[in-house]
Amino acid sequence: MAEYASRTRPSPGRHPLSTEFIAKHQRARVIVALANEVAEKGYRAVTIADIVRRAGIARNTFYENFTGKEDCFLAASELAAKESLRRVIDAAVEVDTWPNRVSAGLSAFLDYVAGEPALARACIVEALAAGPAAVNRYERSVQAFVPLFRMGRKVSTHGTALPSTVEEAIVGGIFWVIYQHLVNGDAERIKELLPELVEFSLTPYLGAEAARRAAAETA
Amino acid sequence: MNLDPGTPTEEAEEYPPELARLPPGRHGLPREFVAHNQRERLIAGLAEAVAENGYGGTTIAHITRHAAVSRRTFYEHFASKDECFVAAYDTVMAELSERVGQAFEEQEDWPRAVKAGIGAMLGFLAAEPNLARLCIVEALVAGPAVVERYDAAIQSFVPYFRSGREGRSPEVLSRLSPTTEEALVGGMMSLISRRIIAGKTMELESLLPDLVEFTLSPYLGGAEAAKVAREG
Repeated sequence: MAEYASRTRPSPGRHPLSTEFIAKHQRARVIVALANEVAEKGYRAVTIADIVRRAGIARNTFYENFTGKEDCFLAASELAAKESLRRVIDAAVEVDTWPNRVSAGLSAFLDYVAGEPALARACIVEALAAGPAAVNRYERSVQAFVPLFRMGRKVSTHGTALPSTVEEAIVGGIFWVIYQHLVNGDAERIKELLPELVEFSLTPYLGAEAARRAAAETA
Repeated sequence: MNLDPGTPTEEAEEYPPELARLPPGRHGLPREFVAHNQRERLIAGLAEAVAENGYGGTTIAHITRHAAVSRRTFYEHFASKDECFVAAYDTVMAELSERVGQAFEEQEDWPRAVKAGIGAMLGFLAAEPNLARLCIVEALVAGPAVVERYDAAIQSFVPYFRSGREGRSPEVLSRLSPTTEEALVGGMMSLISRRIIAGKTMELESLLPDLVEFTLSPYLGGAEAAKVAREG
């Protein structure tokens, strides 16, 4: 543990890092440690001692940044939600047409989940077991993706006739499929879900045939 | 609101007859029946206590007070609050599954069977807001054992949708993916649970047409699915 600490901590004494910089990175390191611990043991079993040990920081440092485990977990969820949304939007604006945007956005999202399996497991699977605030946080992050799908109403021939809940059901369905893959330990196969999730999301707007063609292009 | 927490009150009278408090003293009922009845009462007591205090805030004293049984009786049936919760969860989910299954079986053609099944689910949850909350909201904070059951319960609805593949044209089948049903069930449950979390359980039944249209579309196409959804 001492070795780990010396590798990851700035060396004591003279260093050019501002305290603000160090604080910011300490926070990030604690969040990463929490995500790994939660992914391995489940939210409930993780202790502050586990987190500080893994992060290689002092217990005091933890409490300088967070009020407790839940606060730290919420910060991790916040980070993952912001980062995933940013990546989805960045990917979506790179392409024109709405079906391509959905496809690019979903692809970026699946890449993020596959690239950060511990964070994804913590935020998507464990969030549900981490108390009411975490569940609310989770719901808000999921709903943040609704507008990307809602744009499809403009290109749909029957956009105004679609039930008002379609987007909510689509994002709920996408997250449930990803959740199942994470729970069943299929995280490495998450990216393979792209064509079927694209098709699932586009079908209500474009009809099954057009959705299938768009999904086939992602393969 | 029960302002006199010391004594069980009329609330007990509102239980279904089989859950009502047994008269004190010698009642001549078979021992096994009494034990079963106590268990049912504890389960109902837990549901009420959790509705009042949330899972985290519920104590064994709350449960035994609502159930009108002694603490010792509680421990004859359950080792802990968690164990009692799991039993309550299983009881409610079994009831929900049975109602959905029955409603589904009663209809001959598949789209109407799906509609009847979803209708039965929404009807049950709307009529039992405490149980709905218990199974959807509190289940998630009650620990890993319940979360696993929650997953399994949601996934148990997958076969109803999957049976819609039978007899479809190759063209329809080719556009369904291995995860279509999972996504449909996930989308449906997400809509339902969000309303329960928000305390809008009474609005659940108005979701029926949306959910029917959403879940039938991949099999029937959007227009036909919308038609079935809006039938009286």
